[in-house]
Amino acid sequence: MIASSGPSKRSAASFRTKLLAAMMLVVSAITASGFYLAQRNVTAAAKRDLQQNFQAELSSLDKVQKFRHAAIAERCSALASRPRIHAALEDNALDLLYPSAKDELRDLMEGDESAPEEAAPSLHAKFYRFLDAGGGVLSPPNPKDVGELSPQAEAQLGLKQLAETQQVGYAQENVDAEGEIADEIVAVPIFSTETGNVISALVVGFTPFELTGKGAGAGMESGIWVNGRLHLRSLSKAAQSALGRDVTKAVTNSASGQNNLTVTINGAPQLLFYRRLNPDSLFPPAYEICVYSLADSIAQLHRLRWRIGGAGALLLLGGFVASHFVAVRLAKPVEQLAVDSERYRAQRKQAEAALASTNEELKRSARYSANASHQLKSPVTVLRAGLESLLTHEDFKPEVYEELSTLLHQTHRLTGVIDDLLLLSRLDAGHLQIKSEPVNLSQLVEEWLDDLSALPDSVDVQIEKKLPAELYVAGEKQYTSLIVQNLLENALKYNRPRGRIRVAARQTNNDVVLTIGNTGQPIARAAQEHIFKRFHGDATRSPVSGHGLGLNLARELTRLHRGDLKLVCSDDDWTEFELRLCASQPAASRADKLG
Amino acid sequence: MRCRLAGLNTVLALLPISVLAQATVEGRVELPKSHSAPVMAKRYEIVTHSGVLSTQPPLAVVYLVGSFPKPSSPPARQVAQKDLTFVPALLPVQGGTRVEFPNLDDTYHSIFSYSPAKRFDLGRYRPEERPIPSEIFDKAGLVTLRCDIHEHMRGLILVLDTPYFVVTDADGRFRLSRLPAGHYTLKAWIDSETTRERSVQLTDGETLHVDFP
Repeated sequence: MIASSGPSKRSAASFRTKLLAAMMLVVSAITASGFYLAQRNVTAAAKRDLQQNFQAELSSLDKVQKFRHAAIAERCSALASRPRIHAALEDNALDLLYPSAKDELRDLMEGDESAPEEAAPSLHAKFYRFLDAGGGVLSPPNPKDVGELSPQAEAQLGLKQLAETQQVGYAQENVDAEGEIADEIVAVPIFSTETGNVISALVVGFTPFELTGKGAGAGMESGIWVNGRLHLRSLSKAAQSALGRDVTKAVTNSASGQNNLTVTINGAPQLLFYRRLNPDSLFPPAYEICVYSLADSIAQLHRLRWRIGGAGALLLLGGFVASHFVAVRLAKPVEQLAVDSERYRAQRKQAEAALASTNEELKRSARYSANASHQLKSPVTVLRAGLESLLTHEDFKPEVYEELSTLLHQTHRLTGVIDDLLLLSRLDAGHLQIKSEPVNLSQLVEEWLDDLSALPDSVDVQIEKKLPAELYVAGEKQYTSLIVQNLLENALKYNRPRGRIRVAARQTNNDVVLTIGNTGQPIARAAQEHIFKRFHGDATRSPVSGHGLGLNLARELTRLHRGDLKLVCSDDDWTEFELRLCASQPAASRADKLG
Repeated sequence: MRCRLAGLNTVLALLPISVLAQATVEGRVELPKSHSAPVMAKRYEIVTHSGVLSTQPPLAVVYLVGSFPKPSSPPARQVAQKDLTFVPALLPVQGGTRVEFPNLDDTYHSIFSYSPAKRFDLGRYRPEERPIPSEIFDKAGLVTLRCDIHEHMRGLILVLDTPYFVVTDADGRFRLSRLPAGHYTLKAWIDSETTRERSVQLTDGETLHVDFP
């Protein structure tokens, strides 16, 4: 017990370590997955927010642009109905076109001198030009009136052919040596009021609307990409051209009109959204570009990482402590279990050893009992032979004969005891095997009753019997006979003078019940439960001789036959035993012989 | 106008032929098919088909090309605005002719032209405007008349370098008399893009028959 506590403590400790390790593993896994999920969520959320902001900005841009385009379209349709414009276009008086339109479009160009910021969202145009029927730009006679443009910029206003719908485009213009700007241009068709054909187009140039960037807060830059060049005012020229290449690559590779990509500007990561501004336009494609700084979301991610890391560490610490306590608590019963199992093992070993020795002793005693019986038999035989030879002498006194006769009787008893012991020892050792065969119990009882009545020392008793002629039981005749003999002898032995014996047998279901009752002094109540024990020493039943083995042997043999023997009653001058054995059919061969 | 021409012919017929030994050309111009059946007292309108101006129903102007002296006192002609149309819709004049544009409607008109042959702008005026706004047409060519107020109004003045011209009737028939003898080119203006021509040899006292298929 004490020696075994060492290893059990060790195993408990290792159990605790394992538990701790498992808990650590779980906590680490949770923290790691928390990291991963948080990172993914933050990135996705940031992207989603920025995307929403971009879409919102674009939709508001769309609204003001649509308003502007609608206003211009209205203006143009009004313009197209002017006879002077028609006259100029149709009567080959293009030189009069701009002067004729000047009054009509005066308010478009007005505010040129006033503060441009105030007029910016309105219909304040930077320039306008007319296109001829072939889509070429008509040069104005007086460019100052219609907004001056460089020849390159003016060339961008032309269309390959006139379209019947509004076309939106963007034209680049060199403002100064520093950079270029992109102007929004809207080409509005002018229909002939007579034929309904497109006879010309008015191209109006505006300062593009700028995205306000109110939603996502700071860090948003917007610009326009057109003709492979990016116009994003806040960036340096080099950064613009670098970013422009990125956008060009993305735009040419992507089939859809909008998407996003992550770019780096001056080493800082940025999320760039782009969307085509003029889908289905005859003008070159132009894209609205929005660049959002990811610094915020990265900072947020960093903060979140620290938080999750801290939480993970706390969790780990808590887990460590908790696992320690849990391990201790769990380990205690485990330790106890180990100790207990150790004790149980020792006890079991002891019990097994005891069992083995008992078995050995049992075998030995059985063997001894058998040996002893055999060893005893020969001296008794010698003794009896000696006594019998002495009785043949005729020169002894009568008292000596009487004594010798008594001794001889005792040797007979001794032989009976030894036989019983021998049988019992075989029973105990489990060596006794019975050969089950049909035994005619009625016949057996009859034979024994005949024998009993022939006994010399039989007392004067009356025998009542109630036996069916043929009553077969399953058993070995020798032992069945012994059982019946024992019971009948007892019934006679413990009877009183002028008493009676009643023997009755009957068959119930699968059993044959034999009851044997006799008159005489009943067995003391206290002794009744011991009568089937070996050497029960029933001294009270004297004066009749008995060695205390008969009933025990009878019961053991009965049980060996899967039957039972019990005391039914023993009081008031009547003692009755009941023997119950398995019923059997008479053997076929015998039945044939009898038949 | 046709009444006036008919009157003139009557006057000419009364003159002795020997005094004015002159040639005559008559014939027929094959006019484009009219889209609508001719109706009596139908108004003539100027229509545009892909930039080509013509009258509707079609009419042609037949004139003799040559070098003729300009009249010393140019005759005055009129193109009135009546019921928001120009009457006549097509007026051939000899270069140098003053054309008056009386407003016979109860509303303003603002007659102008951006045509290369004659650019003018009479501005807005009412029917009672006096003197009647007028312009002298010197340069030969087609002048499109428009009204700045009524965008659908169109009129044509064909300015010619010849005093010898006539407007066909609705069937395309024409007759030009009192023509000088000699070798000339006879032209038929059908629309702003189509003018047919024939060489003619005119002899005094003879009537030449020319058809423009």
